[in-house]
Amino acid sequence: MSESLPEDLKRQALARAGQAPAEDGALSTLRRDSLAALQSADFPGRKSERWKYTSLHPLSDGHLQHAAQGAAPARLPVLSDYRIVMVNGHLDESQTRLPEGVSLRREAERLDGLSNPFALLNGAALNDAISLEVAPNTEVAEPLHVLMFAASDTPAHCHTRLEVLVNRGSRLTLIEHYEGHGAALTNAVTAIETRDNAQLTHYRLQSEAADSLHIGTLLFQQTGVSRIDSYQLMAGNRLRRNEVIALLDKSGAELAMNGIFVARGRTHVDNQLCVEHRVPDCTSNQIYRGLAGEKGKATLNGRIHIHRGASGTLAELSNKNLLLNPGAEINTKPELEIYNDDVKCAHGATVGQLDAAQQFYLRSRGIPAADAKRMLGLGFINELVMALPDENVAEWVRPWLAAELGQRPEAGEEAA
Amino acid sequence: MSSQAELDKVIRSEYEAGFTTLVESDTLPPGLNEDIIRVISAKKEEPEWMLEWRLEAYRHWQEMPEPGWAHLNYPPVDYNSISYYSAPKSMEDRPQSLDEVDPELLETYKKLGIPLHEQEMLAGVAVDMVFDSVSVATTFKAKLAEAGVIFCSISEAIREHPELVRKYLGTVVPKGDNFFAGLNSAVFTDGSFVYIPKGVRCPMELSTYFRINEANTGQFERTLIIADEGSYVSYLEGCTAPQRDENQLHAAVVELVALPGAEIKYSTVQNWYPGDENGKGGIFNFVTKRGVAHDNAKISWTQVETGSAITWKYPSVVLRGDNSVGEFYSVALTRHAQQADTGTKMIHLGKNTKSTIVSKGISAGRSNNSYRGLVRMGPRAENARNFTQCDSLLLGDTCGAHTFPYIESKHPSATIEHEATTSKVSDDQLFLCRQRGIDPEKAISMIVNGFCKEVFKELPMEFAVEAGKLLEVSLEGAVG
Repeated sequence: MSESLPEDLKRQALARAGQAPAEDGALSTLRRDSLAALQSADFPGRKSERWKYTSLHPLSDGHLQHAAQGAAPARLPVLSDYRIVMVNGHLDESQTRLPEGVSLRREAERLDGLSNPFALLNGAALNDAISLEVAPNTEVAEPLHVLMFAASDTPAHCHTRLEVLVNRGSRLTLIEHYEGHGAALTNAVTAIETRDNAQLTHYRLQSEAADSLHIGTLLFQQTGVSRIDSYQLMAGNRLRRNEVIALLDKSGAELAMNGIFVARGRTHVDNQLCVEHRVPDCTSNQIYRGLAGEKGKATLNGRIHIHRGASGTLAELSNKNLLLNPGAEINTKPELEIYNDDVKCAHGATVGQLDAAQQFYLRSRGIPAADAKRMLGLGFINELVMALPDENVAEWVRPWLAAELGQRPEAGEEAA
Repeated sequence: MSSQAELDKVIRSEYEAGFTTLVESDTLPPGLNEDIIRVISAKKEEPEWMLEWRLEAYRHWQEMPEPGWAHLNYPPVDYNSISYYSAPKSMEDRPQSLDEVDPELLETYKKLGIPLHEQEMLAGVAVDMVFDSVSVATTFKAKLAEAGVIFCSISEAIREHPELVRKYLGTVVPKGDNFFAGLNSAVFTDGSFVYIPKGVRCPMELSTYFRINEANTGQFERTLIIADEGSYVSYLEGCTAPQRDENQLHAAVVELVALPGAEIKYSTVQNWYPGDENGKGGIFNFVTKRGVAHDNAKISWTQVETGSAITWKYPSVVLRGDNSVGEFYSVALTRHAQQADTGTKMIHLGKNTKSTIVSKGISAGRSNNSYRGLVRMGPRAENARNFTQCDSLLLGDTCGAHTFPYIESKHPSATIEHEATTSKVSDDQLFLCRQRGIDPEKAISMIVNGFCKEVFKELPMEFAVEAGKLLEVSLEGAVG
């Protein structure tokens, strides 16, 4: 095979996009434009700076060649009375229940701000999409749970697309939830826009099984004076890559992002965060905690870009990481790019291990070593778990995290 | 084959290639090819192995792409329009007195309090200033020789101490390390060589300033410092006075080898011509500096960077041995259209290795100042420790300050801490100073000096005083 992996992936992606139905009113414009952009885009190779710590090698199994066909289990997690379920990139209408004030259309149109090849492939090869709109001045009391399920026994993929518009004066709690198992690649794009006086509480739960793959792009666009609180929880899997882009486009907008990522066994997590302060007087605050154990590999790249003229900006990023044992790996790069003097910016990053004295303290009180480690691991991220405002989500998160932090088979025994 | 015969052969081959008068002439025609490298090597009376080394570097360099990842914007450099060797200017070509020198430059010298005869030397005036320096240098040399320290130009070292040069040259920065190091390896013409024998504490601070045997600072400098077991040396590079240089491109390589238990302290003040307000005519400075610290050794880099239109420089330490220590203290000031992309790399390989990074960036005018650093904990770096602090100060809303810290850890017992802040001069501090009758310019300079204090205290004393003054002068007119 003379073709390099990026070239091979691009060929597969273009072939895939070519198979999408040509005539389909709601998605055809996006498909056409995305395909045009995809044709001049390059899939990243090993030397690509933004993919320095993530290899696309797992995709050489041919995930892009086949669509995922697996079946969803009869019982799916329920985090709210209102929900939308997508299985392998297709909306399951029988399970849809929308709260009052939220409308759903099966279309997608956003392209600007999305430039990575996977987001373009998503647009070009899309079969189905969800576009939600919260009517102006509507307070949606109950959370809306959007569950994306993907399953396949053989290497395959699906594209999911979620576009959300939170209108003027509205309030929404959105739980974006990814589940799945098997060798399925979820290529997800989520784009959320908030208008003046809108408030969004956003959860992104990614708990697919360790053998699945996920490449996701999340775009926030605050076109109004609005507030977004985003909580991102993710377990590592065979390949997990999350690109988060936040565009603060209106003075007074506030963004808070909190994240927990755990890479155990032989799993991989790569977060690429980019917050663009394009106008004066916006605030962003990011807190991320990462854990890696066994042969796990976790990466975070947190970029804060303050454009010329964006005076009065407050921007912070904190990333603390724990390495649980030799063989695991953490890479972090908090970046600042600042073109204005009237700003307050700070970032901090640490990488360390569980405190030996704390472990000794617990063990001296009869707590087994493994439990002590789990307790201290939980303590390390508890600050973020405690801050979860929605009780249903918190209840789901606690056992999930306890399992993620629990005892694992020794490095190397983890089955793929 | 004797070296004379070899030299003759090289000279003949030049003749065949058409460069009839090359050996006699003082300046080579612009361009770079293997013949040019042969001539440089011949001029320096180098042995065959050195020429081979240069040629290998050149062949490798030709295959390398110029790096584009730095946060810098500069027009492409035409490597074939540069002359890679020229002898020092003759007395007649130089300005005959200080009256012929750019008054702006003299003004700066005056502010920095530089003695008259040194001003003449710095401005390249054709005066016989050798008296002074020679006497200083002679006492220097005697003292060093007594201690067994070797301090000479790299060309001299290649001739006089080939066994040492051959053993260590390129071991820290291999000839194919990066584009600019590759170019340097092929064409370097100047630089220092230092060897400190076992257990010797170098009796004085070594400085390029006193190494008068090669008067003009080279465009492609190569410095090699070897501190043998248990020795200590402090080395100063550059000086605070602005230096004019007709060569726009500078690509230097500095290699430090700290053998077990040795300590090397390397301090730099870089104040090359930064160009005019639009950055026109400024120096492009692409430097590769790296040290290897063996067991229990320590390498400390301290730099004050205020000059050059483009600065691309990452003094690094490979902490190879157990218990080795690496330090990096930096102040980088940019103004007008200057661009700096500078920082460090701390590669922790051994157990119980420690590194400290303190970087202070100050940007003013329309300049861009980036910190780019890497802290890597290898899989064997048990109990390794790093602390990084990088702060940026912005003066005005047209400049830029950026931070790109890469942090990689592969050992659970390694601890890494990184923090960075960006702010402007606080209004409260400014108000306090002004209320006490201090004019704004002076106040800003005081505040900036305070901002940089952590780094200045690492500099040798005289250097620290000069650096403070230099900052003050550099900031003049930067405050609106």
